[in-house]
Amino acid sequence: MKFLYIDPLECTGCRICEMVCSFHWEKVLNPRKSRLRVMRVEAGLDMVIACRNCAKPKCMEVCPENAIRKVESTGLVVVDEKKCTGCTACIEACPFGAIYMHPDKNVAIKCVLCGTCVKYCPVGTLRIISPEELAQYNTARYIKKIKATFLEDLKIPEDAKREGDP
Amino acid sequence: MYKGGYKGKILRVNLSKNEIKIEPLSKELVRNYIGGSGFAAKILYDEVGPEIDPLSPDNELILATGPLTGTLWPTTGRIMFASKSPLTEIGGESHVGGFLGPELKFAGYDMIIVKGKAKSPVYLYIEDDIVELRDAKHLWGSDTHETTKIIQEENGDPEIQVAAIGPAGENLVLYACIIINLARAAGRTGMGAVMGSKNLKAIAVRGTGTVEVADFEKFMELAEEAHERIDKNPQAREMTKYGTPLLVAYKQEIGELPTRNHQTGVFNEWEKLSAETLRENYWVKTRACFGCSIACKKAFKVTEGPYAGTFSEGPEYEGLYAFGTNCGNPDFGSILKANLLCNKYGIDIISAGATIAFMMELYEKGIISREDVEGLNFTWGNHELIVELLPKIAHREGIGNLLAEGTYRIAKKIGKNAEKYAIQVKKLEMSGQDGRTHRSIALGHATAARGADHLRSLITVDQLGYEEIAKQRFGEDKLPEICNPYTEKYKAYATKITEDVYAIRDALIVCWYSCAWPPIFWIEDFAQILPIATGIKEFGSIEELYKIGERQVTLKRAFNVREGIRRKDDTLPERFLKEPMPEGPGRGQVVNLDVMLDEYYELRGWNKETGIPTKEKLKELGLNFVINDFEKRGIL
Repeated sequence: MKFLYIDPLECTGCRICEMVCSFHWEKVLNPRKSRLRVMRVEAGLDMVIACRNCAKPKCMEVCPENAIRKVESTGLVVVDEKKCTGCTACIEACPFGAIYMHPDKNVAIKCVLCGTCVKYCPVGTLRIISPEELAQYNTARYIKKIKATFLEDLKIPEDAKREGDP
Repeated sequence: MYKGGYKGKILRVNLSKNEIKIEPLSKELVRNYIGGSGFAAKILYDEVGPEIDPLSPDNELILATGPLTGTLWPTTGRIMFASKSPLTEIGGESHVGGFLGPELKFAGYDMIIVKGKAKSPVYLYIEDDIVELRDAKHLWGSDTHETTKIIQEENGDPEIQVAAIGPAGENLVLYACIIINLARAAGRTGMGAVMGSKNLKAIAVRGTGTVEVADFEKFMELAEEAHERIDKNPQAREMTKYGTPLLVAYKQEIGELPTRNHQTGVFNEWEKLSAETLRENYWVKTRACFGCSIACKKAFKVTEGPYAGTFSEGPEYEGLYAFGTNCGNPDFGSILKANLLCNKYGIDIISAGATIAFMMELYEKGIISREDVEGLNFTWGNHELIVELLPKIAHREGIGNLLAEGTYRIAKKIGKNAEKYAIQVKKLEMSGQDGRTHRSIALGHATAARGADHLRSLITVDQLGYEEIAKQRFGEDKLPEICNPYTEKYKAYATKITEDVYAIRDALIVCWYSCAWPPIFWIEDFAQILPIATGIKEFGSIEELYKIGERQVTLKRAFNVREGIRRKDDTLPERFLKEPMPEGPGRGQVVNLDVMLDEYYELRGWNKETGIPTKEKLKELGLNFVINDFEKRGIL
């Protein structure tokens, strides 16, 4: 159940992955045909949104055409374009906003972990990661950074500090 | 004739008539001017004559993209704004990165031309084929951040790209700018005031289409190579880490860090503003414009002191210069705050900083007293004052009404020899360079089409130790003089070549930071990618590109000549010509401008006495319409 991931503090929001994806799958440069999306949250948070290949995919559950299935061997969630009617139920159901409508074909499109974008990420930190790896991924550093920049007003009460704490 | 790169459509908006038309992009325009700045130069020349006041409805505001905009070639997320400038009253233009340029291409347009004046505030909304003028009364008075957010929210789409003006543009501050993505500015020459004068609060664009190139496979191969060159360039990687604040240390080292209204090139407290200090103490996040693998934008946060809590995409080198060194101010918190305020109000940082620094020097020299300026304290380094003045400027409130006019007009008003301290050329406040310790930029500041400008000709390689690249670009025989910043020799030659190449860069449109500093791409790279993108094989000739570049530079000159610009205007403030650099490695240096000017006009084919392009040169460049126009007006 791997998925595409980038630390939102390392992502520069350049959208190269979006463009590379569109070119890889469609041979055109059109962010709307990309299987992933880059979200830029002002004034300093950027992130890649792509399918998480959930263990119990909501999109699969709601699809009235049974066009979405989970491949057992890889854990990948895939859309059968022939069966898809473009009803958008999966788009509504996805908790990550990671399924999109193809603007010409009117079928659902999503990341299938081809990995092309990973090769082109200029920061080199876009990766295909498993939930276990993500859990281990330098969490301490991440939290420290988030705290310093976005949550600095959160004050730990003095008496909550134990002996030996910095 | 073109197979890719362009969308083939120009949007013409007449605000007075509430009329929107779509025009085809003409083949002649493409073939002769390539795009971006070239398109704008031709349209301005044809449609905005000397009789038109910059703030009148007849002036035009042009937004132009180039054939590479929105493709995957590196650093092509750009768009440019052009108009007759209310600040300089000659040709004005300003380029900006972010995400608007590509979005306009995705929406299906190469260019927008806005004319007229709306009866009440409006914003232009573009979503592919839907193009509408919408009421903006509820947005008038709000800053660029609020405007952007409200437009995105009321249309229910956070990805709408917005170019907005703030109160400064509405109040016709002569150096008001246009803000994109909250922190990217089409900063110079008062393009925001032009929008304000038209009652045009914002331009909002959403596009869902495709950008085509002529040969996709080949294009992507070359784009990949280009990104790899950036990836392997150590200096580009430094830019990724630190951004342009890197220049603070470099410029201090060579004695060209303009300090206290350009009195000197040495700032003793430079370390408080160095890239390392900023990275260590304030850096939060690195960000990029569309499709850029350099990612030079830095978001900073101040956590201590009077400006604690200020969090914004931070100042470039020019911001650190304008509100920092040039005002004698080493307080980074105040600079970040001033930077953020300028972005919100829509004020050009360079002109605002230079205007305040100018006032500080007038105060130091006793030309103005505290009674003249509402009792405010214009002492060097008074950072509270800088932050206090910006809202006043934006609203033209009290002393702000005077400051909103820029250094040239303030000096005229004050008299008492104040113009000696107005560091401007052609009424545009100077950017953060000093010709005394970098001779080629002296010529660049004096001759650039939009005034004291560093972006049209700044030859970085003659100054920062790039001998190898200088050799490639200007020829081995020009060494060692070309890399000696204290001699006038070969500087006119290098300036001409660089201006012509940068004119192509501004037509594509490719970012400054991939050609100039770090100096990665040059004209041969453009000649390689252009035919692949557009299918126009003539663009594959370096010679042809040089000619198109020269045509663009000369046409912009012709526009300015028609406005009355002559050789006498191609000059520098007295400080650079007569006051030797007082300290640092360049101690004792002054600029000998006339030698460079003579050589420059000769190379350009402009008349040495008048600075007017000669008939022969105009003919050679295919600018016959300029000859006709000049003859009609008695200029030639």
